[in-house]
Amino acid sequence: MFELEAACEQLSDVSLEEKQAPAEGSMESCPDFGLDPNPRPGSGPGPGPDQLCVTIGATVPTGFEQTAADEVREKLGSQSRISKDRGKIYFDISVESLSKVHSLRSVDNLFVVVQEFRDYQFKETKEDVLKDFEDLAGKLPWSDPLKVWKINTSFKKKKTKRKKLTQQNTVFKEKVDDGQGDMGDEKQLTNHTMEAVLETIENQDGTIDETPILTYNKKVSEKPSAIENKRVNEIPRDEAEPQVLKFRVTCNRAGENHSFTSNEAARDFGGAVQDYFKWKADMTNFDVEVLLNVHNNEIVVGIALTEESLHRRNITHFGPTTLRSTLAYGMLRLCSPQPTDIIVDPMCGTGAIPIEGVAEWPNCYHIAGDNNPLAVKRAANNILSLLTKSQIKESKAFWGLPIDAIQWDICNLPLRTGSVDILVTDMPFGKRIGSKKKNWNLYPSCLQEMSRVCRPGTGRAVLLTQDRKCFSKALSRMGHVWRKVHTVWVNIGGLHAAVYLLKRTSQVFIHPSELEHEKGTS
Amino acid sequence: MKLLTHNLLSSHVRGVGPRGFPLRIQATEVRVSPVDFNPDFVTRMIPKMEWTALVEAAESLGHLSELPRELAEGYEKDEEFLRKVHHVLLEVEVVEGTLQCPESGRLFPISRGIPNMLLSDEEAAS
Repeated sequence: MFELEAACEQLSDVSLEEKQAPAEGSMESCPDFGLDPNPRPGSGPGPGPDQLCVTIGATVPTGFEQTAADEVREKLGSQSRISKDRGKIYFDISVESLSKVHSLRSVDNLFVVVQEFRDYQFKETKEDVLKDFEDLAGKLPWSDPLKVWKINTSFKKKKTKRKKLTQQNTVFKEKVDDGQGDMGDEKQLTNHTMEAVLETIENQDGTIDETPILTYNKKVSEKPSAIENKRVNEIPRDEAEPQVLKFRVTCNRAGENHSFTSNEAARDFGGAVQDYFKWKADMTNFDVEVLLNVHNNEIVVGIALTEESLHRRNITHFGPTTLRSTLAYGMLRLCSPQPTDIIVDPMCGTGAIPIEGVAEWPNCYHIAGDNNPLAVKRAANNILSLLTKSQIKESKAFWGLPIDAIQWDICNLPLRTGSVDILVTDMPFGKRIGSKKKNWNLYPSCLQEMSRVCRPGTGRAVLLTQDRKCFSKALSRMGHVWRKVHTVWVNIGGLHAAVYLLKRTSQVFIHPSELEHEKGTS
Repeated sequence: MKLLTHNLLSSHVRGVGPRGFPLRIQATEVRVSPVDFNPDFVTRMIPKMEWTALVEAAESLGHLSELPRELAEGYEKDEEFLRKVHHVLLEVEVVEGTLQCPESGRLFPISRGIPNMLLSDEEAAS
């Protein structure tokens, strides 16, 4: 019944890095054209720029490379190569399909590959290595990737922004202050006014795509030391083509035995790029972002296609532990939602998962629940924002979505036995929310109550947790109702966590008090 | 709270068990929001619902709209019927009101469309 199961049978609980399918040296051919099966970027024999085949790189939540590859295959028809540099996948598309990449929900950032070096030979000394980087700048096949960058930028120029309804703005100015611990990033974001905005992109072929994205309004006194990955910039640029392009180089370096730092590489490579193109270097207000990714002996030079990370796209009200939308999407995909499935997140927090769910699987029914009234309120507000986006999109007033929010206790769910098809949730890690000690009681209760409401035989659960020890122990006692099918190792804000895919056995739920062998104990 | 959700909710007051379903609705504010009609969705959802409870809930809100008390054979092909079910499942929402446990009488408030089903420690099952 589940194709997933067959696939999972072949996967063991190890990192997906080791399971790459295609041979390292091959590149997949473009889906639509009978081109050279090993096209190098910039060297395609195609007659016109539209038939250009390019390699796109995407950063995805670590551990979900395969999920992202599946989405790419489904939406773009392209096979992906999963990189040894974790959290990255590569795929080829024709330039005509470029706008579609922005509809991918499992990717955080996108870039067009200028060149890949699978086995770069580093010279001995730092000076020599850096000199090589300088020389490299002038030898790279820039022209096609830059064409792609330009086309991509032209999408953005045609974007139209729609303002949210006024009553929403006051809600967004609400400060998050519930005494919970929080991440630096998120706290900063709540001080900005955020708008959930639907941007319309007019494609080259005249079709319209809509992408909901989160934009931040500039604060009056803007500080340049703003958040790393998220720039506080309004999207619409000047309509006039800038005379001189502004650029910056971002270098990510991973691996031992490198004689140089990422800053040094970025500086020297960037200097050479500047000389070559006569562009102007600008760290904050750039047009072109050149990426220099070094992972051991693998180097990828690329040009960024996304400005800010897409990973918070649907969430307007942040909480202390808001899950990335891309991660939420990956988790949902993992459980293969079928039409009409009832999907419940019993510890929803800000509702990241159900909201991603209703956006991408609107033919399922989603329920967001939490015991914290603030969390439920935020989830409801995020739903409201989504509603507003749909209203804009469809020009319809007050249309509903197949999603509801409820305040409840996970250990005592007010749901009929066996009525839920999928449970998907981000379980408390015991670091920012709750505590490890609480988890020892919480996890077994959760698993039991979830097994009660989950539909026997066909039901499944996808659970994210960092407290793997506690989870495994709790799960080991539930073998009669839960079967672990697959584990994905992920990285959440520096913490090593795991996503478990569980299948509900066909064993009907029996309340522990009804079990004959022991009275009153579970 | 949509009626589809209501159909899944059951009181979990200690000792009540399956007699905690269905919860009785008392609504002070109801909203109707159009939702895209998808016949397949409705057809597949009906078997997951407790039909009698759904009809009772719709009736209590004044949205019965001639739904039969019992499911007829071949409803999958009856579009008019499916549209009525669609309306009741997805388009009618209780914004303010209460849900009442039929066995214990315990009231759960609904505020801004969100039911609060939290119980005190004494009330909850162990």
